[in-house]
Amino acid sequence: MALIELEKICKTYRSGNLHVPALVDLDLQVDTGEFTALAGPSGSGKTTALNLIGCIDQPTSGRLRIDGRNVADQTVPQLSDFRLYQIGFIFQSYNLIPVLTAEENAEFVLMLQGMRPEERQQRVRPLLERLGLGGLENRRPSDLSGGQQQRVAVARAMAARPKVILADEPTANLDSSTARELLELMRELNRDEGMTFLFSSHDPLVLEHAGRVVRLQDGHLVGDERKDG
Amino acid sequence: MDLLRLAWRNLWRNRRRTLLTVGAIGFSLLLIQTFHNLAIGSYRQMVNSGVRSGSGHIGIYAGDYALSREETLSYLPGELPRTITGLADVQQVVPRLYLPGLAQSSRESRGILLTGINPELERQINPFLKRIPDDRMIRGLDSRDALIGDRLMDELKLKPGQKLVITVQHRDGELAAELFRIRGVVRTGVKEVDHSLVMVGLNRAGRLAGIPGQVHELAVILHDSAVDRPPLKEVQALLPTRNDVRALSWEEAMPNLADAIKLDYASQKFIFAVILLIVSIGLINTLLMSVMERIREFGILIALGTRPARLRALIAVEALLLGAVGMTVGCALGSGATWLLIEYGLDLRWFITQELEFGGVVFDPILRARWDWPWMAGMGLLLMGICLLASLYPARKAARIEPARAMRHH
Repeated sequence: MALIELEKICKTYRSGNLHVPALVDLDLQVDTGEFTALAGPSGSGKTTALNLIGCIDQPTSGRLRIDGRNVADQTVPQLSDFRLYQIGFIFQSYNLIPVLTAEENAEFVLMLQGMRPEERQQRVRPLLERLGLGGLENRRPSDLSGGQQQRVAVARAMAARPKVILADEPTANLDSSTARELLELMRELNRDEGMTFLFSSHDPLVLEHAGRVVRLQDGHLVGDERKDG
Repeated sequence: MDLLRLAWRNLWRNRRRTLLTVGAIGFSLLLIQTFHNLAIGSYRQMVNSGVRSGSGHIGIYAGDYALSREETLSYLPGELPRTITGLADVQQVVPRLYLPGLAQSSRESRGILLTGINPELERQINPFLKRIPDDRMIRGLDSRDALIGDRLMDELKLKPGQKLVITVQHRDGELAAELFRIRGVVRTGVKEVDHSLVMVGLNRAGRLAGIPGQVHELAVILHDSAVDRPPLKEVQALLPTRNDVRALSWEEAMPNLADAIKLDYASQKFIFAVILLIVSIGLINTLLMSVMERIREFGILIALGTRPARLRALIAVEALLLGAVGMTVGCALGSGATWLLIEYGLDLRWFITQELEFGGVVFDPILRARWDWPWMAGMGLLLMGICLLASLYPARKAARIEPARAMRHH
């Protein structure tokens, strides 16, 4: 059974009297351990698909199952807990909490899970070290470069060891060498930890690193290309 | 890093706005606490001044004399003054006889209220008699000396040392008159009183009215420590069941003063309520702004798995912390201002030159505050409660944020 299953998913946004289809009858399965990119131009439905898979938006129709669970059957607190324990997010503009240090940001999801401070530190410190953030633990986001902030965001997404990490245009605000470095790091984590990564991106660099590229256009699936496995 | 620490840091994101809000809470608490403490201090001064020259903290009367002023409602106090003075809380029991009458000089006559007093006891507690020099006081219960209101003396065109004839109704219905000599002059500042006051020895007044040994009022003066919890029941228990003699609190015996204080404090409470309302609106505005500025961030928090209830709790904790800081600042300022008003007082003579009368009582123009710690603490907690209430709407708004839409928000 696939980790993520989208079946005839439609998502339509309303803008006044206008109905704008963002996704149309999308069928997609993502298995555990995949390193998949959703590719397509702006407005193709990549971010919408990620939001639906991340349970932060609801489809207009169709069925979405994650880890065997039908998302439509979950209550709001259940969805919160589901995101908390099963999904890690990496956003285009990092979205770190400005009043927390790099370490506290990385620990944030663990704090929400109720983990004790010592345990959180034990979990997060090595991760920060591995992401090249050793010595920067006590810096606030405003004192970090874009690349460093995105690494903290990766640490936050990975710290809770979720089943899937969703990354929306993770390299959009990074220069090419930082973007390459970050992608290699995520690929390494994917191989070592077996975590499932699902990106949305139109960055050729991301597509180059991805094990599978799912192409979207105007909300339709127009291509699905596997490079490995 | 927990909710409290996160809330605390969030509070100081916009330092200027937080400081302004803390200032508003602190200033409102300063005003409320200081004016309350000043009010209760000045009410205490008025009550002390009023009860000492009036009914006492507890007044003992026959029937409904306190209300009707029916002069036939006099009674023989017997051993009551001695037994009541034996109560630990009682400082003094002062007997008085009140007789409406007429004062005549060789040139004028005026209606008066002849008050029979025990000059020795009265002088110990009555603030107006304390001002009279020793050689101007009535010499004993039976003497023909009289103290007279300054306005009355002027109207009768008399001077100290001159004589006047006082006529009252004898208990048998006849008129009874007696000659007195002005020994001293009393100035209470209450126009009506200074126009009509004549004080003479209690025994002399009693005999003149044909009710020797009787009184209309026993004014029970309490020690300061007992003023807030007058031993009304204990005094009542000492009264004889016959004669319909009963003990009344000063509020019952001097309803004018009690009502004036109630009315004055009610208007203060209204002002307090307006201040609190203004602060509440400011608080809601501050908290709502702080939520609206962070819509995107709340969207992120929800996306990361924060439950809506936890988000509501975060906003509530931020509001409570804001309230706690404001309360600390306000209590410190309120305490400082109260201390100054206790030590130095507020001298109303800077603003008003005439004598100040309130509820039929002249009071000291230097108003002094008084500590009311439980009330001050209560107000601080009330403000914290208002902060919590003010956070409900912003917290509800934050918890209803749709993360996908919020993250598109800039």
